[in-house]
Amino acid sequence: MRSPRTLEVWRLGTVNYLKSLKIQDKLVSERKAHQIPDTLLSLEHPPTYTLGKRRTDHNLLIPQSELTKIGAELHYTQRGGDITFHGPHQAILYPIISLRSIGFGARNYVETLERSMIEFASMYGVKARPGNKCETGVWVGDRKIGAIGVRITSGITCHGLAFNIDPDLKYFEHIVPCGIADKEVTSLRRETDALLPSEEVIHKQLITCLANAFSYDDVVWKEDPSVILDTKDVE
Amino acid sequence: MALRLLWASRVASHLRISVAQRGFASAVLKDLKYADSHEWVKIEGTKATFGITDHAQDHLGDVVYVELPDVGLTVSQGKSFGAVESVKATSDINSPVSGTVVEVNKELTESPGLVNSSPYDQGWIVKVELSDAGEAEKLMDSDNYSKFCEEEDAKH
Repeated sequence: MRSPRTLEVWRLGTVNYLKSLKIQDKLVSERKAHQIPDTLLSLEHPPTYTLGKRRTDHNLLIPQSELTKIGAELHYTQRGGDITFHGPHQAILYPIISLRSIGFGARNYVETLERSMIEFASMYGVKARPGNKCETGVWVGDRKIGAIGVRITSGITCHGLAFNIDPDLKYFEHIVPCGIADKEVTSLRRETDALLPSEEVIHKQLITCLANAFSYDDVVWKEDPSVILDTKDVE
Repeated sequence: MALRLLWASRVASHLRISVAQRGFASAVLKDLKYADSHEWVKIEGTKATFGITDHAQDHLGDVVYVELPDVGLTVSQGKSFGAVESVKATSDINSPVSGTVVEVNKELTESPGLVNSSPYDQGWIVKVELSDAGEAEKLMDSDNYSKFCEEEDAKH
């Protein structure tokens, strides 16, 4: 009988992108040292474009100097994947989990992230599917609703997934999203006529779908985000 | 399944080493040493060649990018020196031995998929000049690595 697996969840509201990177770095070190259990950050970002390790900035279609005019930041990261946009009303989950504990490699991990989003979408009657080869992510027909970009160091994950609830999709017009031209980006709002509950409820549902997909026995909802947000190491 | 054993035998005879029989999908070659982060290493005197194992490439998915270290870089056993990208995930690769990088497999820049199709042969990643030949003792032989992979896969 294997020992029970716990997921600790922090719901952080809107967090600046660089701050979220610092928080994740700290959590990855702590997870590696077995100081914390598997941890999940649930948050949103202010308007932010990010690039992955391959630095595919040819997929940014406006000059970097224009970004402040449209109220957005740009950051280069070590995650996999191409260019993407994060912004208000897009639900972001950053799981900081030990893949070695569950014998997962990158492929199993990413497929389970995709399944989490597909399960969540189905709660609203939206039939989503995983991407074809080279199109990792979650799609409704030919429209992308969920994106994935992950980093794995010493078997611990960071970065994660972004699911479009109702972001301003115009921001995606300034990039070739995920490097895939001629495919649209969509959102839960666009794909369903269902009444959407509050974003707090929506985030909790998405988190629960992820916890189920990864077969966690316990989910611990941490109440006080300031514990993570205000530590003096994180500035 | 039989095809993979045939492939492994062909690779093994090219490398002049023997194949371990495994009931599972991924191939493990005798006479190589293995790290628990799924890198293999072939030691020849003071030089070593290494890459990632068949088990690793299978668990990664299709590799689209390999971040190669610079020649001259010092690597340490168990420490990260580069990364691969697959399925929108970048995964660190750790060095199974300590030493200095003397050559990197430039083919992987144009053809990163060699890591998947030929992990022990054309998909080699780095050659080093060893700084501590005794370190190889800390690595697993093919039988222990096979068992290690079985135990890992049984976790889910």
